[in-house]
Order: sequence, then structure tokens, then C-alpha cells
Amino acid sequence: MDICDLGIVDYEDALCFQTDLWRKRVEKKVPDTLIMVEHEPVVTLGRVADESSMIDRELFEKKGISVVSTGRGGNITYHAPGQLVLYPIVDLAEKKRDITFYIDFLEKTAARALNRFGVPAGRDEKRRGVWAGGRKIAFIGIAVKRWVTFHGVAVNINNDTTPFSGMHPCGESDIRVTSAKEVLGRELDMSEVKRVFAERFVEDFGREYSSQFVVRSS
Amino acid sequence: MGKMELRLPEISAGGEDVVITLWHAGEGDYVASGEDLVEVSTDKATFDIPAPCYGVLERMIKKPGEKAKTGEVIAEICTDDI
Repeated sequence: MDICDLGIVDYEDALCFQTDLWRKRVEKKVPDTLIMVEHEPVVTLGRVADESSMIDRELFEKKGISVVSTGRGGNITYHAPGQLVLYPIVDLAEKKRDITFYIDFLEKTAARALNRFGVPAGRDEKRRGVWAGGRKIAFIGIAVKRWVTFHGVAVNINNDTTPFSGMHPCGESDIRVTSAKEVLGRELDMSEVKRVFAERFVEDFGREYSSQFVVRSS
Repeated sequence: MGKMELRLPEISAGGEDVVITLWHAGEGDYVASGEDLVEVSTDKATFDIPAPCYGVLERMIKKPGEKAKTGEVIAEICTDDI
């Protein structure tokens, strides 16, 4: 698997990069690839987002933060530098054709990576995303075409979570949001965070899917 | 008359319901085998289903916003004179 760290980039630029890589993956010109980015501040609306999810549009307009509609699954969320975003471009047809299994995998691997830094993160069987101390710390929204994935998971590391107060994150009105920085009381080194997440992802991707193959072949 | 039914494929082992979110073609439009025809969504994922054959999209049985189950017929494609 290739790892690609784009640094801090505009949402639209990263989306162009993703879709270009998605096409190449469909054509089998590139291997599975994990893209890692931090975005300039932006609000994104997933396919099932509606106006009611945005509760304070002025908050974002005052700060010059654009609102972008996207083709990913999910509802509304916010991105900014200090938040690690993972966009895996992987061919599920070569692994397991199961969207739910893949989303579970993303949640588990993000939680395990956060655990490595001492963040007590985990899944909630009743609600999507990754949670720490009852607050949401990572957000899922994916798209799949020809069984090749794009979009992915955003994890609050050092970013200010205040802007999430201007929305119902993921369309849920009763959730509170946190970050690794808030949980630990200190900032994490983003280079180290990216290294650990990449390692975790690559290892878990093989392990999770390998274990499924064992079950199927027995 | 040649007609093919497009059934919702299995996209997760749990067989959860999906919502039709976007038709890439309208009724009466020609569709090409392998091209995106309809997008369905779960709460956290969008999934594009390609046209299974060349033909004319005769009927969208499921409209945007409607739910569908795995195996359910969501469209009919006329394959005459293609």
C-alpha cells in the first residue's frame, strides 16, 4: 500500500487528487493508497445533509469559511488544520465487498491509533464515529464506486473544536465534540500522529481482512 | 420486448436498507453498460451502481428519497434495438 501525505490543502484540491487516484485505482494502475491531509478550514455537507444541520451559518461566514456540498455519505462536518483526515483509496473487491464491514474497520483503526497516544477512544455500537469520554472525536463519511473507496475519516487531533458548535455534527443534535488535545491537555506532534495512523492503518487493513479470509476458507 | 430488471445489489452483509439519492439518467435516456446509473446511500456511505447493460432507462421504480432493500427491483431497462 502507498502512503501519501499531502500536508495542508484546500478541500477541493484534495478532492481532485482523490478522484484522480480513484480512477487510476479502478484501472489498476496504482496500488491501494492511503491519503493523509489536513484541510484549510471548511464545512462539508454529505449526501444526507440538510439545512437543519447548520445552526449558525453566520459563524462560518464571518470567518470566511466556505461550505461545500460533496458526494460522500454522511451529514455535516468541519475540517481545519490540526485535524487529521484519512482518505483511503482501496479496492474492496480485492478484500471484502461489504460497506458496513469497511466502516467498522475505519472506526476500529482510528480508535486504535488514538489509543497509542493515550486517548481512551473507542466505538459505540449504537452510533457511528469514534468516541472518547462520551464525546465524538472522529467522523466517518465515505463513497464507493466500482467497489473502490474514496473520502474516509476525519480525526480531531489539535484543532479547535469551537466551530462544531455552529452545526449539528453528523446531523446529530445531542452530541458533543472533542479532540486529542482536549482529552490529553497537550498538543500532539502531527508528524508522529501521521506516522502512527499510517502504520496502524496498513497493519489493520491486512489483519482485519486476512481474518475474514480465514473464516471464509475454513 | 427485451427488458432487464435492475435489482439492488448486496453492498453489506447485514443487508441494511439504503436510500436512493441520485439517478444519473432520466426515464427515456440511453444508458451504457458499466456507467454510473444510480447512487444509493446508507447513513455514512454513498455507493454508485452501474448500468448492467446497454439500453433505455424505461422506468425508475424507486425515486430519490425512497428506501430499497437488497434484491429489490429498482429500475427497468429496455434492451430493444440497441
